Amino acid sequence: MAVMRLGYAHVRVTDMAEAKDHYANTLGLYETLSEGNKAYYKAWDEWDHHSVVLEEGGVGLVKYGWKVQYSSDIDEIEKKAQAFGVTVERMSKGDNPEIGDGIRFTTPSDHVFEVYHAATLVGTEVGTHNPDAFPRHLVGVGVPALDHSLITAEDPGLMDRFLGDVFGFYATERVQTSLDDDADIIATWMTNSTQIHQLAVLAGPQGKLHHFAFRLGDWTEVGRAADLFSMDDVPIDVGPTRHGITRGQTVYFFDPSGNRNEVFAGGYLAYPDRPMHVWTPDALGKGVFYHARELNDAFTSVLT
Amino acid sequence: MPTVTIHPTGEVIHLEPGETVLSGLYKAGYAYTVGCRRGGCAICKVDCRSGEFSYNHPVADTVITESELDDGTCLSCRAVPETDVSIELRGESVRLVNRFLHTINDKARQRAEALAAAAVTSGTTHKEQ
Repeated sequence: MAVMRLGYAHVRVTDMAEAKDHYANTLGLYETLSEGNKAYYKAWDEWDHHSVVLEEGGVGLVKYGWKVQYSSDIDEIEKKAQAFGVTVERMSKGDNPEIGDGIRFTTPSDHVFEVYHAATLVGTEVGTHNPDAFPRHLVGVGVPALDHSLITAEDPGLMDRFLGDVFGFYATERVQTSLDDDADIIATWMTNSTQIHQLAVLAGPQGKLHHFAFRLGDWTEVGRAADLFSMDDVPIDVGPTRHGITRGQTVYFFDPSGNRNEVFAGGYLAYPDRPMHVWTPDALGKGVFYHARELNDAFTSVLT
Repeated sequence: MPTVTIHPTGEVIHLEPGETVLSGLYKAGYAYTVGCRRGGCAICKVDCRSGEFSYNHPVADTVITESELDDGTCLSCRAVPETDVSIELRGESVRLVNRFLHTINDKARQRAEALAAAAVTSGTTHKEQ
């Protein structure tokens, strides 16, 4: 395994005070650093220094950080990205606070990826010695961890190949124009572990963010999160509902700058040898929103 | 207190001070295509045909481009009218989804108009009240 997980999502926000209130008090993330126009957060069950970076000024994605298991993985990924035709630059320890050396490149979808191996270990909120099941005084939803993200790209098929060749990801589910061998890929859900998806790519404009998601345990927690969003006047996009694709339980909602967030629970275990689920456009509504079975126009058009 | 007139149907919506165009329309029982409702996705843009408004939050230049700052483009979730405004939706019409709210808003508008008329009659302007 090279890439272990989506280590951090770095996004722009128009108003830092409102954003901090959302991520700290509604979602329950812990602020680990605030300097200049940036604030750094981690969730309670994460051990590295941060998983969310907020930067004041604008909206949308700045970049993602992907954490690899071994430092040699960085060199491997650099070679594979170059072989794919992507220009790779080196980043130094301290380019991102509490993150080590690594590489940075722009994907064929015009998103900036950083790959790193070292991050300052802060520890989870329950520690490692005889740990309790969860922290007693969680705030708001109290999300345990960052989970995955969905981006848009003009050619999701190209990103499917890129993530396969460079990160060793495989597709667990795809939306295709048909079941034919030469069908076009409309969307792809990719991972390299048993996590059902780490990054999904949907046909759309280059360089855009659809959402980034936090993990929850089950339906009850997803429902409770939606209740809290109503209490805090957080705009809910869709849900609570289930995705046909991934089988995850979900609420889509917006942060105070309009970046879409998700809380996501469940999803089945992924394996590279499990036959891929294929969805065709006639069932896309059910694939995305399993109960309403109808896409709303915001799902594919509302991006930051 | 400003009003929003919806072109071309001519419906007039009464807004509370500081209220955004989107919030005012929804509180008057109307719905139209909106996305994040927080200034990020640009889906709720309408055209402002007359009147003045300002944005109550910083708006990203990826959402409102420089040329859209003075071409009448109005990001309705962040736009607070400073005068009576007239707007036109882009490729759709508002849908009345809550007629009870619409009735309440209509009465609020009539009260505000009556107060303004009384103020003119008694020699004080609306702003001096």
